[in-house]
Amino acid sequence: MTTVQTILRWRGPDGGVRGWFGRQPRLVRWTLLAAIAAGAYALPYVGEVPVIGPQIVTEGVDWRTALFNISYFVLLALGLNVVVGFAGLLDLGYVGFFAVGAYTVALLASPNSDFKTNWPWLATVPVAIVITMISGVLLGWPTLRLRGDYLAIVTLGFAEIIRIFAENTTLLRGDRGFSGIPHPPGKHADGTPIFGVRDAGPYYWLGVSLIIVIVLAIRNLDRSRVGRSWLAIREDEDAAAIMGVRTFKYKLWAFAIGACVGGLGGVMFAGQNGFMNSASFQIQFSVLILAGVVMGGSGNIAGAILGGALISYIPDRLRGVEIAGQDAFQYRFLMFGIAIILIMIFRPQGLIPSRRRAMELKDRAKEVAPQ
Amino acid sequence: MLLEIDNVTLLYGRIQALHGISLTVNEGEIVALIGANGAGKTTTMRAISGLRPIASGRIRFAGEDITKLRADLRTVRGISQAPEGRGIFPGMSVLENLEMGAYTRRDSAGIRADLDRVYGLFPRLKERAKQVGGTLSGGEQQMLTIGRALMSRPKLLLLDEPSMGLAPMLIQQIFSIITEINQQGTTILLVEQNAQQALSRAHRAYVLETGRIVKSGTGTDLLHDPAVKDAYLGVA
Repeated sequence: MTTVQTILRWRGPDGGVRGWFGRQPRLVRWTLLAAIAAGAYALPYVGEVPVIGPQIVTEGVDWRTALFNISYFVLLALGLNVVVGFAGLLDLGYVGFFAVGAYTVALLASPNSDFKTNWPWLATVPVAIVITMISGVLLGWPTLRLRGDYLAIVTLGFAEIIRIFAENTTLLRGDRGFSGIPHPPGKHADGTPIFGVRDAGPYYWLGVSLIIVIVLAIRNLDRSRVGRSWLAIREDEDAAAIMGVRTFKYKLWAFAIGACVGGLGGVMFAGQNGFMNSASFQIQFSVLILAGVVMGGSGNIAGAILGGALISYIPDRLRGVEIAGQDAFQYRFLMFGIAIILIMIFRPQGLIPSRRRAMELKDRAKEVAPQ
Repeated sequence: MLLEIDNVTLLYGRIQALHGISLTVNEGEIVALIGANGAGKTTTMRAISGLRPIASGRIRFAGEDITKLRADLRTVRGISQAPEGRGIFPGMSVLENLEMGAYTRRDSAGIRADLDRVYGLFPRLKERAKQVGGTLSGGEQQMLTIGRALMSRPKLLLLDEPSMGLAPMLIQQIFSIITEINQQGTTILLVEQNAQQALSRAHRAYVLETGRIVKSGTGTDLLHDPAVKDAYLGVA
């Protein structure tokens, strides 16, 4: 137990790597972040690094596809982190927005669609963003008056409604799904398209670029008056209202922004796979993303990225690996469960915690069990 | 009249918490609302600050009907509340908590002046400015909620149980500061279980029992009222 404890407490909220990072001058910090971003872009080639490389790459899954999966999981974790981590709204139906984004692309671009519009992929992106934002507002408008557990239940219902609706309407084609969803534009010098099913690398790089843009946008938002309003709502919604925060409006914004990022994940997913049906949007997916956000460190952008990456990487890494004659992939959910329980016991604020979140957790613990 | 509550009823689901409450607060006054646990004191506060919609009746503030006004807009109009217990933002520093109090304001010079004023009233908060709210002691958190409520420069300050859970020494100190805030020109509506302190500080007071106002008068009158003495002051 003690070893587990030490591993999970390898740094406190103020000390360790984060404390050191925070004390560096601005230039050093930005250079380090740029280096991390460059490292992310170079990940498809990590398998060629001797000794370490082969340990990192996935054996049972094409490494570049695994990387692409990580990229849209990270995107989803970032979006959900705005809703859950920043505004403190428990959303259990986040997959619903992912589905709305993916279906928007499919309906507008797939030759199977009744619309017969056959739009190129790129043209569907702005439409998908607008539609997922609207869906966020539409879901939020009646439900954001609810709090805590009640909101969680309603969002859970929303995701199921989307999935069941997709299963049972002819327009959304149920499990027959949509195929032939086009790829993003761009051609190599020899005339072959850059984006395709065969090589997921370009999709991954596109994903990383999107992640960078979204991280910068969300970070700025978090440090603005909007972020401060979210923080106040998360810590004490009544107190926030008394301070003059228009709570409903900011909660709605969190929902819309979260929805929009989740929708973008769906847009990427639909494009890369070329095919999607109603089975792609199971409720477990929402739970998985939420687990990633909480595991990584709810309310912290770096934490959300780490958590989102882990929940996608670990199962892919386990695929095709044998432990004691058993396929490790079969036990991925068991391992997840154990990992989450351990983290919640020893590091409830997540792997890279938000400093404020850690304090809020402590404060709430006091409320539950006064000393 | 700064605040006028007329025949207000309020429901929590099917349970009626307020049965037609009427009270007034004049400019410059300290008005106390005393009563036992569950009498509806905090509920009355929530009705005034807009955190809880009322079922019937009217609330007027500074000549305007605010019955249907959103909570955040009531703050803009000049009503500010220090909620009971731990109503602070636990993950924000003391300074950030105080800045949240000035959320609706844009005049940075005025905000700075009011920050100094709050630090003057509560020197302890200045010492702890960078400390995270959740790590403060109960008394310091109480000071912080009051200081934060002052940061919006309110016309009417609602104080919900400012003495709750405090040591007797600290209770004295908090009440002296409340009187001082009032003398600086802020009207105060005070909810208290500590009737002794509240009545001796207040100009006027109301006694609340199971969602109804059963008595009202000047603080001194109620302090010497046999029934009040018997029920709230612990003397026969």
